[in-house]
Amino acid sequence: MTKVAESRSEPWSATGSMQWSAPWSALAPVAWLGVFVILPMATLLTTHVDVADATRVLSRASTRETLWFSAWQAVVSVLFTFALATPVTWLVGRHEFRGRRVLRSVASIGFLLPSIVVSAGFLALLPNDLDTSLFAVFVAHAYFNVAVVLRVVAPRLESLDTRLMWAARTLGAGPLRTVVSVWWPALRGAIVSAGAVIFIYCFSSYAVVRTLGGPSRNTLESDIAVRAYAIGDIGGAVVLSLLQTATIIGVVLLGRRVTNDADFGVRRTRVTLGRLANSRTLIARSIAIVTVAFVLAPLAALAVSSLRVGEQWSIAGWRAVFSGGVIGSTSPLQALWSSARTALVASIFGVVLAVLMSHAVTRLGTRGRRLEVFAMLPLAVSPVTLGLGLIVTFDERWYDWRGAWWFVAVVHTIVAFPLAVRVLVPSWRNVSPVLRDAAAVLGASPARRLLDIDLRLLRPAIVAAIALIGAVSLGEFGAASMLSRSGAETLPVSISRLLGRTGDVVRTQAFVLATLLVVACLAALLVIDGADWRARPSRKASRARSH
Amino acid sequence: MLAVTDLCARRGDNDVLRGVSLQVSRGERVAVHGPSGCGKTTLLLAIAGLVPVTSGRVTLDGIDVTTMPTHRRGVGMVFQDDQLFPHFNVAENVGYSLRVAGIPKNERKQRVEGWLHRVGLIGFGTRSVDGLSGGEAKRVALARTLAASPSVVLLDEPLTGLDDLLRDRLLNDLRALFDELQTTVVMVTHDRAEAAALSHRAVEFDRLMRD
Repeated sequence: MTKVAESRSEPWSATGSMQWSAPWSALAPVAWLGVFVILPMATLLTTHVDVADATRVLSRASTRETLWFSAWQAVVSVLFTFALATPVTWLVGRHEFRGRRVLRSVASIGFLLPSIVVSAGFLALLPNDLDTSLFAVFVAHAYFNVAVVLRVVAPRLESLDTRLMWAARTLGAGPLRTVVSVWWPALRGAIVSAGAVIFIYCFSSYAVVRTLGGPSRNTLESDIAVRAYAIGDIGGAVVLSLLQTATIIGVVLLGRRVTNDADFGVRRTRVTLGRLANSRTLIARSIAIVTVAFVLAPLAALAVSSLRVGEQWSIAGWRAVFSGGVIGSTSPLQALWSSARTALVASIFGVVLAVLMSHAVTRLGTRGRRLEVFAMLPLAVSPVTLGLGLIVTFDERWYDWRGAWWFVAVVHTIVAFPLAVRVLVPSWRNVSPVLRDAAAVLGASPARRLLDIDLRLLRPAIVAAIALIGAVSLGEFGAASMLSRSGAETLPVSISRLLGRTGDVVRTQAFVLATLLVVACLAALLVIDGADWRARPSRKASRARSH
Repeated sequence: MLAVTDLCARRGDNDVLRGVSLQVSRGERVAVHGPSGCGKTTLLLAIAGLVPVTSGRVTLDGIDVTTMPTHRRGVGMVFQDDQLFPHFNVAENVGYSLRVAGIPKNERKQRVEGWLHRVGLIGFGTRSVDGLSGGEAKRVALARTLAASPSVVLLDEPLTGLDDLLRDRLLNDLRALFDELQTTVVMVTHDRAEAAALSHRAVEFDRLMRD
């Protein structure tokens, strides 16, 4: 008698998996990344840089200073972020209380807000002697990255079994010993992982350093932009890009090594979170209030500043924006339209490409996992470098790509692509293959199964991906500042230009545009959060797979 | 009318079916029983075309369907844990095969109501499948399968997981329904009593194998 156990989780389904279509669905996104990421990077490397450039740039004291500044300000920003994020992470990660989900969502707002908007927010919020200072840079970096700590470390805290602590205590460990021997080994991987991600974001910071750092401070990313755009030193910019990419890859590899070691032997369990003890209610409320105030203060400052011209309350800024006043060659209304159009096109194209790619990733086994790594390629290239590569590559071709209004949208699909794939892949993996089998025995063809089962169950994730790409596109500054042609600047580029000019009404117009951008991004965030919430019951149901 | 001849199938590196043969006449209900993990479910999946077979044949009404895609075989299957579509309500689940077949909406609605009536779920059409009890979910799964008018119905552990009262009630209802419709059924179960109660003929899984 055959005694082979019938696996309860093996996705064995022959008909439901649509294996035949998976390699084909990867073609379009792979080609897209090939043309708009690999080709520009290859062009930069092969035609615009040589050993002489490398020697010239790397031997300069200013390069070493920029590298040093990029690194240490990133380290301090990581420490700032952890200092601000630890209390709320502990509160959300270890306790069940009313409003927990709302607090987590509010504390995560910063991550999705455009860097130029947050910079403008702190410019409006901080007193004059602090608004272009290192402190402003650190606080703004922390503002974005509190969400990273919360989303990476809190789930690990949630899964930490209290009984492990009890076991340590009954074996004679004091409170400090318990932290060192139980908490730290379990959390180290998540903490290092979050730290590495924050370091990378801050190391390649552009809009924040440009807006809040003052004229004398440059990260590698802002120096790349200055060299390529203001000085015309493409070779030097490419060398700096390579230096930045090498540092980022080094940090990623180091982080992965530490987290792999840390993950070994850590047991994760689903535990019931404790209710807040009465003695801790005051502390919890204080943490929640401070966190919410920290997140909302720059946004409120933006809105207030949009209603002030100089020392007076006034709606002149709003009137100037909607009466078609001109910033350089672009009116604020044109910038609004340009951003909306770009975000719409980027969302539609981006989500189609991301759906195709995630279909291939989830259906091709080991090859799929390699594809997933490939899909993350744009994360390794900074937006400014990508913009530079695209300028160099497509300015010399038979078609004036850069003159086309949709070119910025194309770049935004690239920048947002890895994030959209990351939203879609787990949801697609969650769709039980047995549901497709059930549809097949009811007469549904492979195409019908894809439409009725996969895409229907993926709908919340697709909506979230569309909103995410839209939000990224609305706020993207690095590539847009390189690629936007005069007369078609996006909102972040317009805000940056307005902030760089003198005049009270002009500055107020920047705050008006930033306020509008905040509203649009918060709407996108609500859609993403709502989609995530709606996805929960169906995820629960589709998770049931067995035979 | 269903003939399984010398069927072999692998899952991973394991030969799960080794020369299985089984004949089922029209309107006959055959129960295959055996211990958990012996390959009973794989036999049903192979008949439905949901796992690839390495050799052997499956014929339905004399037509070789061994390599025919699942959705063209006309075989219905009630899965062990029902596999109701979580994003459809009860009526949409039951009417899914009718929608796939392009039946007009009004006719589809009537037929769905008819099936819900037959399985004792009148008024359940607009309910979400998330809130159904185990017995109700099983009835919806059965109605969904029968609505497709399959030539053979495959039942995978149809009464597992139900409490005794529900189990007995569902057993009686299933028997009455299958008698009325003269449905051809192949069911697998680890429970001999269940096999005897629901089928005309019960066979040990081991006996279906060549060696």
